[in-house]
Amino acid sequence: MAAFVQLVILGLLAGGVYVAVGVGFGLVWGVLNIVNLAHGALVIVGGYVTWQLFTAFGLDPFLTLPVDAVALFVLGYALQRGVINRIIRAPLLFTFLLTFGLNLVIVNVLLLIFGSDFRSVTPTYSGQGFELGGIVIPYVRLASLGAAILLSTGLAFLLSRTRVGLSIHAIAADRDAAQLVGIDLRHTYAVTYGLGAACAGVAGGLIAMIQAITPTAGEPYTLQAFVVVILGGLGRVSATVVGGLAFGLVEAFGQSIPGSGSVFANAIAFGLMVLVLVTRPQGLMGRLR
Amino acid sequence: MIATADSQRRWRRIFLIVGGIVAAYALLAPLTSLDAAQAAGIPLLTDKFWFRIATYVVMFVVLATAWNIIGGITGYAAFGNVAFFGIGAYTTGMLIAKAKWPFLVALPLAPVLAALFAALVGLPLLRLRGHYFAVASLGVGVAVGELVQNIDYNGQPVFGGASGLFLPIYAVGHRGLFFFYLMCGAAAIAIAVTWWVLRSRFGYGLIAIRENEDAAAVIGVNTTAYKVAAFALAAALTGLAGGIFSQWNVFINQDNTFPIEYNVQMILMALLGGTGTVFGPAAGAVLLQLLIQFLGGSLPISFDLPFVSSEARPIVAQVILGLLLVVVVIFVPRGVIDFFGGRTRLSLSYLRRSLRDTSL
Amino acid sequence: MNTAAEPQLELRGVTKRFGGVGAVDGVTFQVEKGEILGVIGPNGAGKTTLLNCISGVHRVDGGDIRWEGRSIAGLPPHRIARLGIGRTFQIVRPFGSMTVRENAAVGALFGSSAARRGLKEAFEVADQVLELVGLKAKADHPVSALTIPDRKRLEVARAVATRPQLLLLDEVMAGLNNVEIDEALEMVRAVHATGVTVLLIEHVMRVIVGICRRAIVLDFGHVLAEGEPEVVLRDERVIKAYLGERYAKRLRGERGQDSAS
Repeated sequence: MAAFVQLVILGLLAGGVYVAVGVGFGLVWGVLNIVNLAHGALVIVGGYVTWQLFTAFGLDPFLTLPVDAVALFVLGYALQRGVINRIIRAPLLFTFLLTFGLNLVIVNVLLLIFGSDFRSVTPTYSGQGFELGGIVIPYVRLASLGAAILLSTGLAFLLSRTRVGLSIHAIAADRDAAQLVGIDLRHTYAVTYGLGAACAGVAGGLIAMIQAITPTAGEPYTLQAFVVVILGGLGRVSATVVGGLAFGLVEAFGQSIPGSGSVFANAIAFGLMVLVLVTRPQGLMGRLR
Repeated sequence: MIATADSQRRWRRIFLIVGGIVAAYALLAPLTSLDAAQAAGIPLLTDKFWFRIATYVVMFVVLATAWNIIGGITGYAAFGNVAFFGIGAYTTGMLIAKAKWPFLVALPLAPVLAALFAALVGLPLLRLRGHYFAVASLGVGVAVGELVQNIDYNGQPVFGGASGLFLPIYAVGHRGLFFFYLMCGAAAIAIAVTWWVLRSRFGYGLIAIRENEDAAAVIGVNTTAYKVAAFALAAALTGLAGGIFSQWNVFINQDNTFPIEYNVQMILMALLGGTGTVFGPAAGAVLLQLLIQFLGGSLPISFDLPFVSSEARPIVAQVILGLLLVVVVIFVPRGVIDFFGGRTRLSLSYLRRSLRDTSL
Repeated sequence: MNTAAEPQLELRGVTKRFGGVGAVDGVTFQVEKGEILGVIGPNGAGKTTLLNCISGVHRVDGGDIRWEGRSIAGLPPHRIARLGIGRTFQIVRPFGSMTVRENAAVGALFGSSAARRGLKEAFEVADQVLELVGLKAKADHPVSALTIPDRKRLEVARAVATRPQLLLLDEVMAGLNNVEIDEALEMVRAVHATGVTVLLIEHVMRVIVGICRRAIVLDFGHVLAEGEPEVVLRDERVIKAYLGERYAKRLRGERGQDSAS
């Protein structure tokens, strides 16, 4: 029983990062209908921003998160405005290929700048934690779960309570009608992608505190974002939160299966995703679009 | 109008002739390495180094042509075909390394097993459409790769685990030549199958599914069976390439038999050359694979990139490749395809129009 | 087996619900071999849903559909097509990358299993069918070059090419002007003359009067009236369904025959 509780807690803590990784990806997919294969690369860019600020200026990594968000928002806005907007009406394969191309560029530019060495962000409190009912809970993990929930809440608030959020809802519902009521499509698309990138950046900052990063480490995060968004269901931030936590739980329990490595858990997660897709394409929480 | 059509036909003819000459050279040049040819004083036109690259190029001809059957003709954006490559490679690899089967007996089982697997996962997967199918197939591709690497039995990795699987070297004279022509054989089968499909009732059914699945169903196309058959056919051809690869490369592991970038490469090749056509994906495969090798600096004809150190070169090559991908996708969404399909002329106004069609 | 007394197609209490709402609710009627039966009703009456049930696009939630005495409810669309029931879609669904001729040929290549053919014969059938619907001159055009009325013709051509014994037409006249409607009616008569039973779904009443001996009026998923078109259209419940209560009162005694077009 204690082992079970331990796994649940570990799973939820790990799920925090997956929530952060998933929300931005889900936003871009749900609103722009783009499966963003560059998402993982953007996550890593966020990680490097945090690492750079931490090593160069000794800034507390949690304080770098807003910087990650702003920097990645600008990058994302520019990418969508300058590049992705140009193929938004093309068949879906083209958006796959375009974002894969962007992924290739971002990853290799990072390699040119930072090299392939693993970098980690280790503030003084990293590795510390407190004990709760026989389980050690690391501060960083707990704080990153909190940050992820805060991020999702903020995003949900932005989407439901602000002018920009309403515009985003409008373009998601009907692009042409949105244009008719005077919404600037190019700008709104770019803002949406920028928000997605900003979430990825925050996720990257959190990840850099938990494990070492290298430019090529982004791909798994793109794949995890898929699973998270599919598990939860497309179209709502709250669904992605559920999906992310569920993914963390699945992973924790998958790793606990005797004889299975951590990679094996990945296979279980993907198997689960396929199962969810086939039996309940709207996700655990979602409505069918 | 007519003048355009004529010049277009001329360009297509020039393209076909040039393509034919290049293909004939590529197919025949390796023969000059045979002892008999050397004895007869024929100059050596290619060396072993070229065989390896040429075999890779032809392998991608098979992969892109196979993908075209499900992705191009049937219109299902399969993003996990690399699973079939890996299954083919491991089928042959296991039969040779563990069961000690001879290569040529083990090889036919690679396409069979890949096709069976495709049929099995295809039944549920092919009910999904659009992005969902793409994502689910990608998931299957990743999951299979990880399972193969991680399945243990009694503490022993069943498929060689993370350290991979070593095969005995296939004892045959002129190994490089042998595997090059074997891969060419697979490519020929893939292209012939595509040619047949596009002229058959089966192919018309697949195209009908691509164009409108509901309409296809109500005129009597058994859409489920057709989609699964197309998926399995693509898997069989992909698996065949994987089977040849395993014995050719002698060593297989998750990295070289389930690489995710192959998924993207085969699609890009088919798109470049023309989806839904017989020779398009093959042409795209040759062009793109040569380009990748060229940028990576592994071709004998090479060049120095200015301001780039030799260590940074492969990285810069990837950046160029990524930018190229972006540029091609943005400016030529259907351009190259329509051009080789004889539907339009590649011109500046065409580029501008296709850009306008797809931009926001 | 197929005696004169037995209907070709029989619907017994067919029901289809979407989220608890009965789009089609206990619909019962029969289609006799060789007739042209009209099914009319206001928007949202369940006409297209009914057609989707017959052709297997929707699975019925209740009741039975019998084809020549045997139940076909629950069969997948392609099986129903092979039995000899063809259909068109209200919003045309051509195979966009193909020419007009190829579209029809694909219909001939598949379709009714009683008349399975090879590629060459399929193209011959396609040519015959295109002549029948008046698209012969445009056989080699790409679909994208067709006008709306021609696309509707193509939709019919593809369905006819499957060699159906029963053809379900879903609002093939919708969106056409009067001249085009007359041309389309000619086409339907020509197809009917080849021995095909026709079930014609229409919103425009005028069409039904011109071509059908018998009509069925659907409203809110129920059969409201059944009989000769002229009689059915004078039925007060039908007028009410189409035009509302106040119109029905005003028309009472006026005998407005064309009022509901």
